[in-house]
Amino acid sequence: MTSLSATLAEPQHFSLPEKLLFFLLLFASIWLFWRRFGPILEKILKSRKDPDFRLAPIGRRIWDFFTEVICQVKVIQQRPLPGLAHAFVFWGFCAFALVTLNHAAVGFGVGFLDPAAWYGRVYFYLAAAFAIACAIGIAGLFIRRFFVRPRWLGKKVSNESGVIAGLIFLLMVTYLAAFFTTDAAPAARLLWWIHTLTLLVFLPLIPHTKHLHLVLSPATIFLKRDGFSHIPPLVGDEDFGLVAGKDITQLVSLQAYSCVECGRCSEHCPATNTGKELNPKEIILGMRGYLNGPGPASEQAILAAEDGTAYVSQKAVFQCTTCGSCEFQCPVGIQHLPIMVGLRRGAVNTGTWEDDYGAKLFNQLERGSNALGISAIERDKFIQKQELPLFDGTQEYCLWLGCMGGYDPKGRDIVAAFARVMQHLGTSFGVLKKEKCTGDPVRRLGNDLVFQTLAEENLKNLAQNKVKNIISICPHCVRTIQEDWKAYGTPPEIEHHTEFMARFADRLQPIQSQEKIVFHDPCYLGRNRNVYDQPRQLVQITGTLIEAPRHRERSFCCGAGGGLAFLGEETGDRVSHTRAQELVATGAQTVATACPFCNTMFRDALGEMNGTAPQLLDVAQLIARNLDS
Amino acid sequence: MKIIVAIKQVPERDAQVRIDSSGKWIEESEVQYAMNESDAYALEEALQLKEKHSGEVVVVSAGPERVGTTIREALAKGADRAIHIDCSDLAQRDALGSARLLAEAIRGENADLVLTGLQSDDLGYGQTGVILAELLGVPHATLILHVEKTDAGLKVKRELEAGWFQEIELPLPAALTIQSGGNKLRYATLMGIKKAKTKEMRVVSAADLGAAATPVATLQSIELPKKQRSTQIIEGDAKAAAATLVEKLKFEVRVL
Amino acid sequence: MSQVYVVLEERDGRVSRASWEALAAGQKLASQSSGTVTAIVVGGSTESIASEAAQRGAAKVIRVEHPLLAHYTSDGYTLALQQLIEREKPAFVAFPHTYQVRDFAPALAARLNEVLISDVVAIADGPVFTRQLLQGRLAGNYRHQGSGPCLISVQAGAFRAEEAPASASAEITPFAPQIDAAQIRTKPGEPFRGTAQTVDLGSAPLIVSVGRGIKEADNLPVVQELAAALGAELAASRPICDNGWLPMERQVGSSGQTVSPKLYLAVGISGAIQHLVGMKGSQCIVAINKDPDAPIFEVADYGIVGDLFEVVPALTEALKAAKG
Repeated sequence: MTSLSATLAEPQHFSLPEKLLFFLLLFASIWLFWRRFGPILEKILKSRKDPDFRLAPIGRRIWDFFTEVICQVKVIQQRPLPGLAHAFVFWGFCAFALVTLNHAAVGFGVGFLDPAAWYGRVYFYLAAAFAIACAIGIAGLFIRRFFVRPRWLGKKVSNESGVIAGLIFLLMVTYLAAFFTTDAAPAARLLWWIHTLTLLVFLPLIPHTKHLHLVLSPATIFLKRDGFSHIPPLVGDEDFGLVAGKDITQLVSLQAYSCVECGRCSEHCPATNTGKELNPKEIILGMRGYLNGPGPASEQAILAAEDGTAYVSQKAVFQCTTCGSCEFQCPVGIQHLPIMVGLRRGAVNTGTWEDDYGAKLFNQLERGSNALGISAIERDKFIQKQELPLFDGTQEYCLWLGCMGGYDPKGRDIVAAFARVMQHLGTSFGVLKKEKCTGDPVRRLGNDLVFQTLAEENLKNLAQNKVKNIISICPHCVRTIQEDWKAYGTPPEIEHHTEFMARFADRLQPIQSQEKIVFHDPCYLGRNRNVYDQPRQLVQITGTLIEAPRHRERSFCCGAGGGLAFLGEETGDRVSHTRAQELVATGAQTVATACPFCNTMFRDALGEMNGTAPQLLDVAQLIARNLDS
Repeated sequence: MKIIVAIKQVPERDAQVRIDSSGKWIEESEVQYAMNESDAYALEEALQLKEKHSGEVVVVSAGPERVGTTIREALAKGADRAIHIDCSDLAQRDALGSARLLAEAIRGENADLVLTGLQSDDLGYGQTGVILAELLGVPHATLILHVEKTDAGLKVKRELEAGWFQEIELPLPAALTIQSGGNKLRYATLMGIKKAKTKEMRVVSAADLGAAATPVATLQSIELPKKQRSTQIIEGDAKAAAATLVEKLKFEVRVL
Repeated sequence: MSQVYVVLEERDGRVSRASWEALAAGQKLASQSSGTVTAIVVGGSTESIASEAAQRGAAKVIRVEHPLLAHYTSDGYTLALQQLIEREKPAFVAFPHTYQVRDFAPALAARLNEVLISDVVAIADGPVFTRQLLQGRLAGNYRHQGSGPCLISVQAGAFRAEEAPASASAEITPFAPQIDAAQIRTKPGEPFRGTAQTVDLGSAPLIVSVGRGIKEADNLPVVQELAAALGAELAASRPICDNGWLPMERQVGSSGQTVSPKLYLAVGISGAIQHLVGMKGSQCIVAINKDPDAPIFEVADYGIVGDLFEVVPALTEALKAAKG
């Protein structure tokens, strides 16, 4: 025999005491696993059923499972190096499933994969390749966690992660070493036992650590709610959102237990990054803490219990801009926004959230038509001054102004520019005589009472006016009308003005220009609607598109979303300033936006910058400029 | 303390209105309604007093069926029960006519305190609370920003003109008209609305109250105001423009 | 020949401007019905304002005087005027639409089985009284159909006080109402100013507000002088307070205070929506800005397009001159 055996060594003829010992240890390991995992599973299953959960469309679920679990696309795409290392570990584990089963079977003398047979040989070699990759991967992750120490993994180094990494490394090494010995050698038996013991220690550690995601996250990804930032309906007279354990649904429980604490949500969170209390990871871990404590049937408040303990900080929950980067980034299928908005609903629908600005906004929308609290007469005046046609049912499109388009002087400029583009294209359109806020800010802040009223009144108004197609300059209006109004009726078709214009790009008089234009992806257009290319296509016909470091799916929020534009001064740095600085640093002459809220946030931020700030224009204004030049 | 709050449902603050065919009132079907702003502050004051001193808050509102939504909003915010005076001629009644309706509806309640908003955002007579006090034979104070209960009755903070205030003491029972802005308004919640469904709302008809509608002051016609707000750009060099502006401030804005 | 009573109010020892405006309205009523105007002064001692009233327009002055009227109370004023009106039976009684009148006149009218036609902005033949409805979005025309006196209150600024012609000294007669101390149920305290220490922009009648156009902190005295000349509070848009040039409590806008003064003079403020929502409720907005396209001009009643460093000092001078 050469030193390198052609096959994996498998020790033969285990004695009865050995078999008995193995059986006892195996039993103990499974028992220790179940002792922790059983209650977790019970908590998940005992949580309230998700009212609107449906398995359909199953195709989407299978696709998500294939890409996000099997192919590890999100893990790799968003953090390439550690992502790849993780993928190798994961694929190694997959390849090892059969090896491990066989390994255990060997212990009872019933091994089914013969290392000498051709298929066994092929499989074990394949597994060996994965084992090498896995060992390198886990070593890399170990170095990253304990020596590189990126801040998103948290201040405290998790020793359990080190132990787990060590165990995985040991599993791989003991497997690979078995190629270097023979079946009969004592080394083979020793390796088998070390490998076995490692496995038996590893198993109970899974449910006790964040490695629970090994078991849960494939299910979490497969079962996650349809739609981005989907806000589930309230059911019955006692449902006010996430108030207490009794309101936590199975999906929320499953997601809370799936968190792997990788910190991707924190890394991309505009609140966390500007020194605010909110850290999305802590919200999820707070939910998990609640489930481990009071549990899914409890009446104790999640946000603030009577004895003063709060599992989740109310202040933090109301610092969320609902930009959705956490939900987008999460590799294990946690949907943060339904939880964040759910907690807000619980606080607002029961009146426990006390905030002067919030109360003012709610009161304004209880008795007025727009979130800005300005008289609707001002909107009429703007329509008259701008000579915008009124929608009478004959036009192709209803141009939805929204609060910003109807009342904000800069938003009006965007509407005027877009109207100019539509006229150039010969598209017939009209604006509604009256319009109410779509309810976006109150929806995100969790005020279902006001939101429902606004949605219903608007739906009625649109139906009376026989509106079939809407275009809006505001991604928040687009999202709210298309998605959130569905709970109360059937909204007309709606699209964002950049989507509309992109369809006619060839008729919009492209000009060759060296003007460097950086495009800021609005959260509600990008992550919410997957519209990334259309505005870029439009920017490119008016100048030279450049990108900010964080763009497309990773775009950084302007700070206005989630109703925060109306909640007064923020703590820490201003999100808008942070983003504006990033945009300015690109050296662009022009900052292009596609959302009137982004526009107004940056207008403030750029205005306060020293030196010459780039000009700020909506994509519609860029296009209108082309037409006029 | 038993507190009655008279609230009125008025066209939304920024509702676009059209004059109806009679030329005497607006086309009501085209308008959305909301709680009168200063009445919302009166309700808030009542709720805060109840929270401090316990007792009962009863809201009373006159108007057609649609008023129910505003009453439910008040119940949702924390009022205990409601009286709805069913009548459809509120716009044709003068202040005395409306106040009589309210007075007859609440007389039997023998409340300790009656609160109204300072004035309505639609007719804007600004008198209901004062006349109500007169009809009920209780003392009153108007433009109240803050109410404090004392052993002898009430101590209230009254707004005077030009940034001045005054404290007034008065015995109970009493009536107060509440100025907007004294408190921070709470918002209506979904939970409150659901609870409101189980609260008592008694409907009485205007006819049963026997308060005649024959007005002393009659609204003959309504019309659009003659001039609308628009920006006047003052021309000229700095000195001339400044002089013109001072003239305008003196004679048109009347703040000098 | 009908009698028109005009109840005058005193401010700082003199007849208030709003009262002269009510007198002008009374004269209009008198001329329609070829009647005479009688000025009514009420108080504990009314000699000086009675003689001031006698100099300007009224054909007669009645001094309603009683020690219990020294401090205004709704009960006292209602009793006193009820007795006068029931005895003299004037056809019209006009008041200025002040906070004080709003406090007692409705009760007075109710006691006479009448209704006050409040906040009148115009009087046409008939007489037809015009008042604003729906906060100025509509105008309503009213007629008085009661058998007793017609009571009206007149909106400040609706009639020109200058319309009341000066006249020879009118006859002054006293009227002593019967009031018992027990009939006065409320106990009024001394008027006081809002807490002086903190800035209360919310209740300030006049505000001068400064924005980014001021460029640097060293330029602030330019607007501070304007505010002083006008007797206004100084406020600012967010960038000014962010920079620490003025304290945060002076910030107007969505993250600061919401104000609704009689006059809001915006200097070098472009008018971002965050600012507009904080001051849109102002009764009169004046904007000074060098950019003619600044959004602030959209909401302004008066605008001056120009360099604030020229316009503001000129305005300060003009104000000082106007105030003498």
